Amino acid sequence: MKDKARPTHYFLHGIRRALEGLLLCAFTVTLSNCVTEDTFDNNNKGNFEALWRIIDEHYCFLDDKNKTYGLDWDAIHAQYSNRITESMKPEQLFEVCGDMLRELQDGHVNLTASFNTARYWDWFERYPVNFSDSIQRKYLGTDYLYTQGIKYKILPCNIGYVYCPSFEYSFGSGNLSAIFSHLAVCTGLILDIRNNSGGQLTSAQALAECFINEKTTGGYICHKTGKGHSSFSSPEAITLTPAEGIRWQKPVIVLTNRNCYSAANTFVMYMKACTNATILGARTGGGCGMPFNSELPNGWLVRFSAVPMYDINMQLTESGIDPDIHVDITTSDWQNSTDTMIEEAIKRLTATGQ
Amino acid sequence: MHKVLTILLFLLIPILSFAQENSVNPLSLRSHSTMLGIGSNNQLDTYLSPLEYTGTEVRFIQENIKPTRLLSGRVSMQNIIQANFSYTKSPTKDSKYLSGLLDWSLALHYKWQITPALRIMAGPQLGMHGGGIYNTRNGNNPAQLRLALDINASGLAVYQFQLFKRSIEARYQLDFLLAGMVFSPEYGQSYYEIFSLDQGKHNVCFNSPFSAVTANQMLTLDIPLGTAKLRLGVENVIRQTHVNELKTHDWTWLFLVGYVKQFSLIKPQHER
Repeated sequence: MKDKARPTHYFLHGIRRALEGLLLCAFTVTLSNCVTEDTFDNNNKGNFEALWRIIDEHYCFLDDKNKTYGLDWDAIHAQYSNRITESMKPEQLFEVCGDMLRELQDGHVNLTASFNTARYWDWFERYPVNFSDSIQRKYLGTDYLYTQGIKYKILPCNIGYVYCPSFEYSFGSGNLSAIFSHLAVCTGLILDIRNNSGGQLTSAQALAECFINEKTTGGYICHKTGKGHSSFSSPEAITLTPAEGIRWQKPVIVLTNRNCYSAANTFVMYMKACTNATILGARTGGGCGMPFNSELPNGWLVRFSAVPMYDINMQLTESGIDPDIHVDITTSDWQNSTDTMIEEAIKRLTATGQ
Repeated sequence: MHKVLTILLFLLIPILSFAQENSVNPLSLRSHSTMLGIGSNNQLDTYLSPLEYTGTEVRFIQENIKPTRLLSGRVSMQNIIQANFSYTKSPTKDSKYLSGLLDWSLALHYKWQITPALRIMAGPQLGMHGGGIYNTRNGNNPAQLRLALDINASGLAVYQFQLFKRSIEARYQLDFLLAGMVFSPEYGQSYYEIFSLDQGKHNVCFNSPFSAVTANQMLTLDIPLGTAKLRLGVENVIRQTHVNELKTHDWTWLFLVGYVKQFSLIKPQHER
């Protein structure tokens, strides 16, 4: 019995020693390995530094904008940190922080406090509006059909007209099939996305997938893998898969203006890859970086572009996408309540149908 | 007369249960306990915010311990299921986190009876965790999925002592992560890429004490009360990750209250 017991005794003794060592090691590691994040104090300087660092570590276009127009984020820090004093009121701090963010020239970048939202809206405010809902009403009337935010009807010339003002809604295949089923008798389709400032990428993709018959690369996407300005993953293809419901097989003209932004800009990027689609109107607003949120120690919310998307030629569409046919609403048409873009689209689709 | 007998019976229950405990080898006892915990929680998730959120956590814990026949019956199996919900706020209270997590762990403990009153137990533990954390303000990064598989070292010290003629059991348990796998998006990766575009890569990461410590400590007192025991205790949960350049921590302190039922399975005579 003794011979049998000895190896077991030594084995158990060994386990006990190992456990003692493990516990000692565990306590040592615990004390030295708490996961925390360096944060800034909730004062003017601290909040400014926190904002600058969030953009420095997370914003995805710093390198690209450095090449495009010479944006130097370190120089921006030097320039704006001099304006920060502890005696500033929150409104004054907000103004300086907002000015600094405007250097990024990005509509997806916002700073939100309870009293204001800092924004960069030059991407559409400095350009022709090219859309009027009053003029649109002349074409759309009041007898249009309406589902998931989409208004649609058959125009007198047997052209289908679909107005999609937002991608905030989730489109089911049932919604989209119902629309295209109703418009099936039409000879062509006008898909108007003017003033669509974005929403869900999945909705933009679902709509684009109604215009393809085989798997198509719509663009590329990547993301930051670390804090460095050039730390990105390899771009991966965004594959559009043909919709399961009714798909549009006839010509389609997509109407755009400068206020097509974010997911609407991405939709245009996808439609550029569709063979029977023509983009008509004005250059889109851009916004090809999916925005993320973060916050400052004082609670102000920061929004910034985080996930860049590229077109099929691996070009960023951050500054917008040019239409295939450039058309602006003319001054005389404004005065006559005529939508130049819709008229031009009808003319082209009618000619194609004949 | 009936009333007097009933009162006497109630008064005798603790004594009877104590006598019953002493007649059974404590190592062969099965134990079922249910606890409810409430306490404070400190959360950090740099995918959602660089700030630490603090608030309240509620936790439900169900524990089963039963003896096994391994190593001459000196190994017991501990099965713990925990469900917790927490509501925490940013330092300025502008933003909130809602989080829920389900934990399951299974441990095998070898027992050393150091003295008649003190026994030490230790062994490996397998843990699985699933849940999520939701930020009420964020747009495209509103939530984080929490999935983890842990291999832990688990140890217990159980000490029995007499207080006011009652046998009270004090227990301290430490579960310490040795190695594990956790789910995490990459530093700036969107869930749209992972789930809608099916482009999830580098999302299952290795976790160890050298990148981030994860441990669970629980100190309880079992006080006999009728046929069961009242359990009072504190629990400290430290769950941390530092992978894909993203940091998370969940530090929780909970006050626990619950009950324990111990029993021994006795085979019918004809099966012995």
